[in-house]
Amino acid sequence: MFRYYFLLGIRSLRRNPALTALMVLTLAVGVAASISTLTILHVMSGDPIPQKSDRLFMPLMDNGPLKGYTPGEQPNDIQMSYRDAINHLSAKFGERRAALYGILMAIEPARKDLPAIESEGVATNKDFFAMFDTPFVHGQAWTENDDTKAADVVVLGNKLAEKLYGKTNPVGQYLTMIGHQFQIVGVLAPWEPSPRFYRFAGRNATFGEQEDFFIPLASAIRHEITHAGGMGCTGDTEPGWQGRLNSECTWITFWFELKTASLRQELQSYLDNYAADQRKLGRYMRQAKNKLFNVMEWMEETKVVGNDNKLSAWLAFGFLMLCLVNTVGLLLAKFSVRASEVGVRRALGASRKEIFNQFLIESSVIGLAGGVAGLILAFGALALIAMQSKQLTVVAHMDWQMLTITFVMSVTAAIVAGLFPTWRACQVTPAIQLKSQ
Amino acid sequence: MLRMKNLSKVYRTHLIETHALRGFDIHVKEGEFVTVTGPSGSGKTTFLNIAGLLEDFNDGDYLLDGINVKGMNDNARTRLRNEKLGFIFQGFNLIPDLNLFDNVDVPLRYRGLNATERKDRIEAALTQVGLASRMKHFPAELSGGQQQRVAIARALAGSPKLLLADEPTGNLDTQMARSVMELLEEINAKGTTILMVTHDPELAVRAQRNVHIIDGQVSDLVRKMPSLYDAKADGKTDGSSANEVDSSAVA
Repeated sequence: MFRYYFLLGIRSLRRNPALTALMVLTLAVGVAASISTLTILHVMSGDPIPQKSDRLFMPLMDNGPLKGYTPGEQPNDIQMSYRDAINHLSAKFGERRAALYGILMAIEPARKDLPAIESEGVATNKDFFAMFDTPFVHGQAWTENDDTKAADVVVLGNKLAEKLYGKTNPVGQYLTMIGHQFQIVGVLAPWEPSPRFYRFAGRNATFGEQEDFFIPLASAIRHEITHAGGMGCTGDTEPGWQGRLNSECTWITFWFELKTASLRQELQSYLDNYAADQRKLGRYMRQAKNKLFNVMEWMEETKVVGNDNKLSAWLAFGFLMLCLVNTVGLLLAKFSVRASEVGVRRALGASRKEIFNQFLIESSVIGLAGGVAGLILAFGALALIAMQSKQLTVVAHMDWQMLTITFVMSVTAAIVAGLFPTWRACQVTPAIQLKSQ
Repeated sequence: MLRMKNLSKVYRTHLIETHALRGFDIHVKEGEFVTVTGPSGSGKTTFLNIAGLLEDFNDGDYLLDGINVKGMNDNARTRLRNEKLGFIFQGFNLIPDLNLFDNVDVPLRYRGLNATERKDRIEAALTQVGLASRMKHFPAELSGGQQQRVAIARALAGSPKLLLADEPTGNLDTQMARSVMELLEEINAKGTTILMVTHDPELAVRAQRNVHIIDGQVSDLVRKMPSLYDAKADGKTDGSSANEVDSSAVA
């Protein structure tokens, strides 16, 4: 009977086309508003690395000065000093460790007629690639030896590689960066985790495009390439590059990868012991609690999804509710003019349950039509949102999951809206309807 | 086929009680063609609605094809209605956005028949009423008489044991009314019991029996008429020569 009712539902769309169009549009607008905001929320709050997000940990340790500190206060910065980063890399705790900082550099193309390309990249160590499962299209990550020797090697992002070399494999070629020759060892396939959780550069930058290049941390330090992004400096700092490296300024992002999530406590102990050791050396005087965050906890801590996004989603849901109330009214009007049909069907052998099923499936068909129209409107809304900024371009796109949710939401909304009108239709007394015709 | 004994139906509002039927007794035998007449408000439609299981009654007994329907729940009554009864209404009551085939299909869908059997039954029913060639037409494309024929086909498709007709010719002109009546007589001749409410005395006297209802009770006016089938068998077609009161029909 489902197919029969479904076909009746489709046929019913043609009846009272103006009323049907109004219902579909009402539903579509509500669904589109909800789906647009939900899509952005979904992309922002989605797990960017689900296969291991529970065993990648970001430490948060307070190395700030005691002066002016109130116990319980949050650390000055959520990044780490260079000294601590190097210490953790050397300690080799966990499966992998990655220290990184963002850099901006002018890259000089091999063709002299082309201008230098301002590029955004990351200075890190070779564990980064395995830790974050970066896919390679050519070559591979540099070696540990390259890290140790601070070699001038580079892994290119696929967009920059295409811009410079087209579709050819550039591995082995040299690229001039800040006046030095860097040998290309690998090219990444498209890799744009969203949000770009692995490095913190402010909430807006969390949804940036993919990196143009990656060079060894040691090489960046050797060439004194300054970081792009925020830095926390509360203590005294000696002047010059070496002064920055020796300082308590925090500008490095650090990640640990553990074999299993259950080893978290061991990592916590390691950090506590490390802080205690540093305290003996005259650092970490605040006695603050050392914290650990896995990827999702880190996104929550850094408020990747802001309250304004959540508020937008709630407002959109409220709007959907308003649309639903309107749809209830329209469905009541649509179904009430069909009381005589209900009477006939009841007289010819339809039970109340059959009538209920028929009208509810008819509501679902309206929901499906509303879903299609809502999807078109949502695509339009997302395109408009994407035009607002580069960051929003990254988040304002629909995936299969949201596509499915659109239809499920629309059909569910239509069914919910159809419950009362359907129940009313079932209450029709056939004898009265049949005589009144 | 249908037996009602001491049946009563009362409509109640917070101010008044209206006795639509009281002490209502009737027995319709299998294969009979019974017309029901009476003035407006006498209880004809209430009787037909109760007979068609569309309304419940307050007291008394009602046996349909030997089954006591008293106290039956809505689902059981619906199933019984679908299996045993066919309806023909004054206003045809076809579903306007379904074509003839789909209109006749409606009761068969609820019976859960498979597609082939439904198709066979629909085609046979529409052929019987002379509209097989217009299966894909919609009700609005037909005349009133043709629409009533479709309604008859819809009632016949389910092979009902009892056909209930509520003023089936009320919306038709004389010629069409006569044509519909002849069709009903043919159906009756093939063995289907028919119970027809009518205001038309000419049609009323054409049936085997005419039950008259006044003030919710069956009156003593019961005529015995040969059916068209019988009349034809006797070489008579006007059926006007054999009227006589048969009070035994009132139980």
